Amino acid sequence: MSQLFTESIVVPVANREDAQATAVALEPYDIGDITVLHVIEKGEGVPDKTPVEQSKQIATESFAAFRETFPEAKTEITYRRDVVAGIIEVARDTDASAIVFRPRDSARIFKFLAGDRSLRLITEAKRPVIALSEEVSD
Amino acid sequence: MTESNEELAKDLGLLSALTIGIGTMIGAGIFVLPGEAAVAAGPAVALSFVVGGIISLFTALSASELGTAMPKAGGSYYYVNHALGPLFGSVAGWGNWMGLAFASAFYTLGFGEYLATFLPIPALMLGPVGLTSFQVGALLAGAAFIAVNYIGAKETGSVQIIIVTFLVGILTIFSVLGIFQTDLSTLRPFFPAETGGVSAVFPATGLVFVSFLGFAKITTVAEELKNPGRNLPLAVVGSVVIVTVMYGIIMVILMGVVNWQQLGPSFTTTPVLDVAETAFGTLGLAGIGVGLLTFAGLLATASSANASILASSRINFAMGRDKLISDKLNAIHPNFATPYRSIAVTGALILLFIVVGDVKTLAKAGSVLHLIVYGLLNIALIVMRQADVEEYQPDFEVPLYPVVPIVGAITSFGLIAFMKPIEIALSLVFVAGGLAWYLLYARGVAEKKGILSQYILNRSEEMPPAAVSAASTVQPDGGAFRVMVPLANPQTEKDLITLASAIAKQRGGTVDAVHIVTAPDQTPLEHAADHVDELEEEYHAILDDAKHDAETFGVDVETHTIYSHRLFEGIFNAAESHRSALVVLGWEEETHGLSDRVKDTFDGLTDGLPCDCLVLKDRGFDPDEILVPTAGGPDSDLSAEVAKLLQSEYDSHVTLLHVADSKEDGTTFLQEWADTHGFTDAALQVETGDIETAIERAAADSTMMIIGATERGLLSRLVGGNLVLDVVDDVECSVLLAERSRTKGLLERLSGDE
Repeated sequence: MSQLFTESIVVPVANREDAQATAVALEPYDIGDITVLHVIEKGEGVPDKTPVEQSKQIATESFAAFRETFPEAKTEITYRRDVVAGIIEVARDTDASAIVFRPRDSARIFKFLAGDRSLRLITEAKRPVIALSEEVSD
Repeated sequence: MTESNEELAKDLGLLSALTIGIGTMIGAGIFVLPGEAAVAAGPAVALSFVVGGIISLFTALSASELGTAMPKAGGSYYYVNHALGPLFGSVAGWGNWMGLAFASAFYTLGFGEYLATFLPIPALMLGPVGLTSFQVGALLAGAAFIAVNYIGAKETGSVQIIIVTFLVGILTIFSVLGIFQTDLSTLRPFFPAETGGVSAVFPATGLVFVSFLGFAKITTVAEELKNPGRNLPLAVVGSVVIVTVMYGIIMVILMGVVNWQQLGPSFTTTPVLDVAETAFGTLGLAGIGVGLLTFAGLLATASSANASILASSRINFAMGRDKLISDKLNAIHPNFATPYRSIAVTGALILLFIVVGDVKTLAKAGSVLHLIVYGLLNIALIVMRQADVEEYQPDFEVPLYPVVPIVGAITSFGLIAFMKPIEIALSLVFVAGGLAWYLLYARGVAEKKGILSQYILNRSEEMPPAAVSAASTVQPDGGAFRVMVPLANPQTEKDLITLASAIAKQRGGTVDAVHIVTAPDQTPLEHAADHVDELEEEYHAILDDAKHDAETFGVDVETHTIYSHRLFEGIFNAAESHRSALVVLGWEEETHGLSDRVKDTFDGLTDGLPCDCLVLKDRGFDPDEILVPTAGGPDSDLSAEVAKLLQSEYDSHVTLLHVADSKEDGTTFLQEWADTHGFTDAALQVETGDIETAIERAAADSTMMIIGATERGLLSRLVGGNLVLDVVDDVECSVLLAERSRTKGLLERLSGDE
């Protein structure tokens, strides 16, 4: 039996702006279950870059922004040093049909320094990954 | 969010926590300071380190208790702000932040010194500023540390553990080899006369105390610790004990191998390397020894600097959360997920300090500021214990309370006294800066009150008046416009709350509904509080109604019951302690009213009201047609403001009335008055003749009149029942009497000029 790509998707969001833009970009499509995900970067043995409390706040804001468009979306927070691995893990645990994300533009130097997460997500996820168009008209 | 998920947020085990403490502390004392320290006290400087360790131990115990009770980002700053309020919080926050910036500059300059031993870094002239090769190296290194934190590239936990293990290992080998080279005669005299003998120990402690800044950093990440109840105290106290022992032993060895006079900055910049050369030289490995120790010095200073930069961003976050600084500083970078602005600002300060400071100054500046914070932290612990707050449930309690925090506070503040006057003065400048920051900036925006001031204000009858006055004077304003409504009569409750809510809503403020229970003089107030149902039946019903009415209006409302022997004293004390901007009172003749209860007592009003005051003579609340008679003056300014607020809430029609000798003069005056007060669409009415008759006539068409008190102390005469302004009784609409606050300035009150 065939499965739709969009039957149950995991949507990683980084912050409020990203969540809003991602939701707007998703809006035109017919989608089943949505799990909106925020991965909090952890030090795993060293202090985090950002206080956990602040990270949770960002997660809450992001979820609220996303739910403006998709009030039914489920939310999930996970804590990982490796954000990409965190996304893939949640997609596996929820048995998502696809991971849908909005690649954020960043300068090549940042990609070099922070790692090109988009590329890693596409190559490492063992399930379909859908990249949304970056062009969003407000 | 699931429970197991929440647990994932806590990923620092005991070993990780210990390495944060040890990793931060070990850099300074051994690798950067021994030269300066040796000059300061000779071999006895080993004792200085031990004394520093003991002082730290008291504070470490206190910090552990506070940390297990409040595992919040921000650590020391958070406890002080929480317990002592935002005034001390500002001092602690700025002190901690700047202290960390100074300490980071110090570590980084130390890094520069080690860098210069093997890299030929040139000295530079930057315009008028000459930079030594150390400073140039430190600036480059500092920029690199800041960049690493800005981007958020972090070593993994295992790398951190390896670094600290390596450092401890190297220093152990160094010590063991050093012992064989130690000549006890080199250590004599233990208290050299040149440094001042025994008396040099404490001043030297002031210098080397910077070596102990690090244990408190563990508390800044308390929320990330696994099992904080156990791991936090173990890590904080354990790291202090471990480094104190290491410092003590290594200092003895350093000064047993090489005479202390030859360790000083005039002979060498890196005494540890000289001693390493001798110690490892016995094995024919002098070169390797120097290389290892150089590497260790770089690693140690770098990890100290890194940890301090990160800790300072935690302080910033916690201050932003309490609105003591702008939250904009704590914005998170969209790509790096780091508090990049906070790091950039701290980084700029660090680079500045590197340019202007030398090792010794930076070390002491860092120490003094931390000592202030540590002293306050110990006091915070005492306040938390004494106030007996329900939420305060530490897993770990300091032994021998209150000895430990008292000794901790005294020794922390006391060590400052051993600094040079110029250094003490500098630290006072920072304290004054923190106070000024609070009074000029943060007081208007901060909302959180300290446990201490709540404790005092809730017991304002038992506490010394000076303490109550001081506590209420420095309360945060929260930027909120608070309207207090004392309630006594259920019949007027609704109209008073409606009026107050309308004003609060327009000003984005909060309504404090206050039920004042007056007890006879013979009844102690605690007794009154316990037996309130005997004094007044259904005392709470009126507050419930008030809450309901205000909430239907959509404004925030808080309810309070206050016990007092004197009604008006109770009202205005409450207004002061809640920092009300406005009090809305009802005024009635009936037995429930205010006027009959207090004929004699309120002299305080003649000194001036603590806040603006509105008295409603209630004949039904209907703000459709508002009449504002004015003759100018501050009280009519208030009536104008209130009229405008009601106008924008209810779309009221406002008529301004002025009674003058001639129509012409009156029209000029009223036109100008209306313009100054921004009435663009009010009807202007100018009358001549008898003032009261004119007002009465105009009021016939109005539903509400708002009139300035015009005469000083009108309100006190009003409550005394000898009001001369008959017009209030003669008109048929509701009347609002407005009297502007004539409170003393903040400075006068701070100076106790009551």
